[in-house]
Amino acid sequence: MSAFVSISLVYLAIYTLSAWSLNLQYGYAGIINFGWIVFQSIGAYVAATTALGSPTSGGFQTYIFGARLGFPLPLIMGTLAGAALALLLGLIILTRRIRPDFQAIIMLVVAIIAAEVVSTNTALFNGANGLSNVPQPFNGVMHLSYNNYQWFFVAFSFALCIIVYFGLEWICRSSWGRALRAMREDDILASHVGINVQALRIVVFVIGGAIAGFSGALLVEFLGTWSPDAWSFVESFVVFVSVYVGGRANNRGAIIGAFLVPVVFGTMPSFLPEFGYPGLSANLEWLVIAALWLTTFYLRPAGILPEGRFIARRTRAREQAPVMPPIAKQGSVA
Amino acid sequence: MLAPSIDRPSSMTAQPALLAVRDLTVDYGGVRAVGGITLHVGRGEIVGLIGPNGAGKSSALNAISGDVPASGGTVVLNGRDVTRLAAYRRSRLGLGRTFQTAKVFEGLTVYEGLVTAVRGASGASLWQTIIGRGRRLEEEQAGERAWRMLDQAGLDHIADLFGRELSGGQRRFVDLTLALIKEPQMLVLDEPMVGVAPSLVPRLLNQLRSVAAQGTGILIVEHALEVVAALCDRVVVMAAGQVIAQGTYDEIAADTEVRRAYLS
Ligand SMILES: Nc1ncnc2c1ncn2[C@@H]1O[C@H](COP(=O)(O)OP(=O)(O)O)[C@@H](O)[C@H]1O
Ligand SMILES: [Mg+2]
Repeated sequence: MSAFVSISLVYLAIYTLSAWSLNLQYGYAGIINFGWIVFQSIGAYVAATTALGSPTSGGFQTYIFGARLGFPLPLIMGTLAGAALALLLGLIILTRRIRPDFQAIIMLVVAIIAAEVVSTNTALFNGANGLSNVPQPFNGVMHLSYNNYQWFFVAFSFALCIIVYFGLEWICRSSWGRALRAMREDDILASHVGINVQALRIVVFVIGGAIAGFSGALLVEFLGTWSPDAWSFVESFVVFVSVYVGGRANNRGAIIGAFLVPVVFGTMPSFLPEFGYPGLSANLEWLVIAALWLTTFYLRPAGILPEGRFIARRTRAREQAPVMPPIAKQGSVA
Repeated sequence: MLAPSIDRPSSMTAQPALLAVRDLTVDYGGVRAVGGITLHVGRGEIVGLIGPNGAGKSSALNAISGDVPASGGTVVLNGRDVTRLAAYRRSRLGLGRTFQTAKVFEGLTVYEGLVTAVRGASGASLWQTIIGRGRRLEEEQAGERAWRMLDQAGLDHIADLFGRELSGGQRRFVDLTLALIKEPQMLVLDEPMVGVAPSLVPRLLNQLRSVAAQGTGILIVEHALEVVAALCDRVVVMAAGQVIAQGTYDEIAADTEVRRAYLS
């Protein structure tokens, strides 16, 4: 039972990071990234191969760029990999020439193709079997029992989430975050107030990709394994539904979405007694998630915690100043 | 600082134009919407662009502002060829515009939209946001500027409304204010009076006049000829993608070709 709770809590942390990543790209900036899972996945693979060591040392798995880096380098490498992939794909796909709805479809196709390529090509990341035996951070040095290590990882991932949360809130509430929302609302109007919309899209896509890569790196360090089964393209939609249910452009809402959608409702069907054909109750997860999405649409279209309204306050200097027309030559021509 | 006073006839030769459009063409696929027009706007000058529906006025404005690519010709702003520059670059060079269908940031409050417009490029720079040099101060100044614009129009009560909550007239006001708040040197307006209550039109005209009096050039597409007559120093008439007449309102009103274009 303790293991179940601790594993769920680690998943909550991972899915919260995931929802924040997509919330930044979609909730704030309006980029529909249906290939989101690829960015988490490359983070996981790169963190795994940079922790596993060289594959030539007689190991049973094959992969590229193996290295044995100590904590926290695999996490950092995974984060950078997510960012680098986002930069590459962003520059190719997020161009003015491609309509946003086509961009979304292209991302989805990229995710499907990537999973296919990685599954069939064992030289990349050990093919369909995936990578395993990824060393867990500090597990060698701390000599904790299995249970205690799980709880250590809960604390570790929560601490990282808190750091990411404050960083995200800070940039989202800044003028930069406001520019993201302006771009999301109307990119033509945004460009006419001097915002380089193309560049801003790439920047936010890269930051979202970095967080996605980071979440994947953290997940693989916890699980110790990563294979194409873990990142089917539909996983992107779990994160999308989390963002929708929690409330777009609201980082606290994303936590609620991550808690409700994958962690609570997504795992519920697995507690049902096995019935129907084998695997039916596992597939019910998708029905439950779809139902959650539709329910949100009807009951709370803006999500559980909507974006909210910014209430402008006059600065003190302004309140004290006498209210008079500040520009002298006004309406002089009649 | 007083704006240079402009005699109507001599303004065409006196100084290099603020906006000079030469042989501009706009094509949509195989359709030629603008077929090589030439026009210019001087500092402090208000030029009307009129013509029947489908004449290519909006297309011309869109090519001037960088929203559609020009397939030929040049657009020169303040002596600089901007024909190939993206819209945001033209905005940074002092070109402001409004839209035939008024655009506002639907999911931002009016205040947020105005502050975003004042901050412009620096507000959207992650780097400048992170290093935070003068960020607080700039935000405060931008906020005060937004309040001033709202106060002047007597509309401070709409500051916290989302763009999508505005009435038609308020949308026009916000669309125009988003363009004006950065004090552009050149202002391009696409039918800004549509949807504005008739009682407010004189006030809007006065506002545009005072903007021009401070040196801003204005190119305005307008259907109501009485507005054109009251506001514009010069009028350019377009039909079927071509400029068919230019001159003062009285001159073009007497032009038989213009009458024919409007009657047909
Ligand atoms: N985005 C577009 N795609 C294709 N044709 C267009 C587009 N915009 C305008 N047109 C066509 O170009 C011509 C000029 O349109 P427009 O510039 O809107 O004229 P105006 O503003 O003078 O009414 C019209 O024939 C119109 O149908
Ligand atoms: Mg038009």
